[in-house]
Amino acid sequence: MGISICDVSKTFSRFPAVKNIDLEIPTGAFVALLGPSGSGKTTLLRLIAGLESLDSGKILFNGLDYTNKTVKERKVGFVFQHYALFKHMTIFENVSFGLKVRPRRLRPTKKEIKEKVYELLRLVQLEQLADRYPSQLSGGQRQRIALARALAVEPEVLLLDEPFGALDAKVRQELRHWLREIHQKLNITTVFVTHDQEEALEMADTIVVMNKGMAVQIGSPEEVYHRPANAFVYSFLGRVNKLAGAALLETTERVTDLENGLAGYIRPHEIVLKKIPQEQSIPVEVSHVHAVGSTVRIQIKRCAADDYYEAELTTEKYKELGSVKKGDVLYAEFNNIVVFRNDREADQPFEDPKKLSAALH
Amino acid sequence: MMNREGMLNHVAAAAAKTAIWLAAIRKWLLIGIAMLFLGLFILVPLLAVFSEALKKGLQLYFAALTEPDAVSAIKLTLLTAAIAVPINTVFGVIAAWGIAKFQFKGKNILTTLIDIPFAVSPVIAGLVFVLLFGSQGIWGPILEEHNIKIIFSVPGIVLATIFVTFPFVVRELIPIMQDQGTEEEQAAISLGASGWQAFFRVTLPNIKWGLLYGVILCNARAMGEFGAVSVVSGHIRGMTNTVPLHVEILYNEYNFTAAFAVASLLALLALVTLVIKSMVEWKSQKH
Repeated sequence: MGISICDVSKTFSRFPAVKNIDLEIPTGAFVALLGPSGSGKTTLLRLIAGLESLDSGKILFNGLDYTNKTVKERKVGFVFQHYALFKHMTIFENVSFGLKVRPRRLRPTKKEIKEKVYELLRLVQLEQLADRYPSQLSGGQRQRIALARALAVEPEVLLLDEPFGALDAKVRQELRHWLREIHQKLNITTVFVTHDQEEALEMADTIVVMNKGMAVQIGSPEEVYHRPANAFVYSFLGRVNKLAGAALLETTERVTDLENGLAGYIRPHEIVLKKIPQEQSIPVEVSHVHAVGSTVRIQIKRCAADDYYEAELTTEKYKELGSVKKGDVLYAEFNNIVVFRNDREADQPFEDPKKLSAALH
Repeated sequence: MMNREGMLNHVAAAAAKTAIWLAAIRKWLLIGIAMLFLGLFILVPLLAVFSEALKKGLQLYFAALTEPDAVSAIKLTLLTAAIAVPINTVFGVIAAWGIAKFQFKGKNILTTLIDIPFAVSPVIAGLVFVLLFGSQGIWGPILEEHNIKIIFSVPGIVLATIFVTFPFVVRELIPIMQDQGTEEEQAAISLGASGWQAFFRVTLPNIKWGLLYGVILCNARAMGEFGAVSVVSGHIRGMTNTVPLHVEILYNEYNFTAAFAVASLLALLALVTLVIKSMVEWKSQKH
């Protein structure tokens, strides 16, 4: 089912949680609402579900106005961050709940319910736990059961509120794959909320980056990552170094007409470190080396200033560079500094992201 | 040198032993004091009630309980509890629901108001009803015109009992419901349940032990209430006497055996309540 969100706003006792959001979600899409806490992403999800009522705007399901429909009428599957499983029911009873509360004439027979529940438990690979209670399950298992329960009523839209937020890193990784697979299998329109940019980039086909109640950018993972609309999106989607004032001028000679207060941004892997000075490099001092994992992160300090940056090298590049320890002086090239013209209105939605890429060579 | 060290070890061990001993003594001293206090102020009086009641034999004991005035007092007490407890249960659940699951202005004031019956002396609670419904009271003339009797009759007793016992269920439920939040209900609704289905299938099973606990305490108090009921009842034998009032009358008439016999019923009720209460607590901890 396709969802259209037209100019939707919601205010909680004078705090605007969602401001004039327009969003088109086609049937079968996998959409991530990404943003920091307080950005309104959960509120938007709850507005779609009908768990909150909106102040203005419209929500259409398949072109039909659903703005004033109740949660029940919308027939969405909703998965809560903290699972919200029914504590006093077994896993089987939890999953079958949505079928059992149907009016008699629409209710499947006991046998059909049982078949359906076991089919879903097989889908989430937890068949053997049917007779357990939620308190006997791990967090990851509970979340899978919560999903099975939501799918039992055959919703046409699946909404997930920070589905993996309460789980540890390893389980989260597994469940991401698994959810992606389920989406491919069932091809059900899915919207999920997350504050984890990695999760959004990895799972969704469309990312809605939200900040302060507004949709700052809507696009595919490639679009939002490589062509961020503004400084907020750029910094939120990965590690970033900010260069301001003298540091910016020193590293980007070509940018001459910079207005005051404008800042440049550079990703750690775009900083190139050499032991011998190059034409456009500036001397830096190493203040910390973090060499665990597939990449090596080196914290550097611009000599003669108090600005710290983080550079990221692949292990091969690090080997090429030779050993580096705290206090060494290196020469850094700042490639691909990105300056956003509209930086000072970074909280406003952008129509014309005049991005300026200031490469040094 | 070795010897000296050995001695030091010995001294240290002895000190440790003394410390353990002292800790044990302290523990048993505290438990002993608590037991002594309980025995003296609760167990002995309770035993006294039963021994006094049975002093002149079982026959007299049962005679005191089956005497018409006693029977009518028991009936009235049961009737009062049978009306007051369900009313307070239903309204208690509604009030607790409203307070625990919704945000609104004046929530704190409402919570404070619910506590008034606990804060105020039951005698004053009774007097309030006399002032409202008594023949000299605010609505007295209107009620008399329509020949409705509230004070010195059963409705007054029921009203006073409801007032005094209202907080038990609410107080018990608010923290439980607040703790549970609204997510499970929202989940139920999103799965297609109606409001009633969500209440009976999700909310009620979640609060059942707390609710039962509140109802038991509410019932115990409804049956045992003396002060407020005493003010509004008028002590008409065989008409507006509840069990506690009947005990007082018998006692004032120096009819000790009968007084204690009837009182033993209330004591028995207390014991049964406590047993059920601890069973409920045990059950709810298991879940």
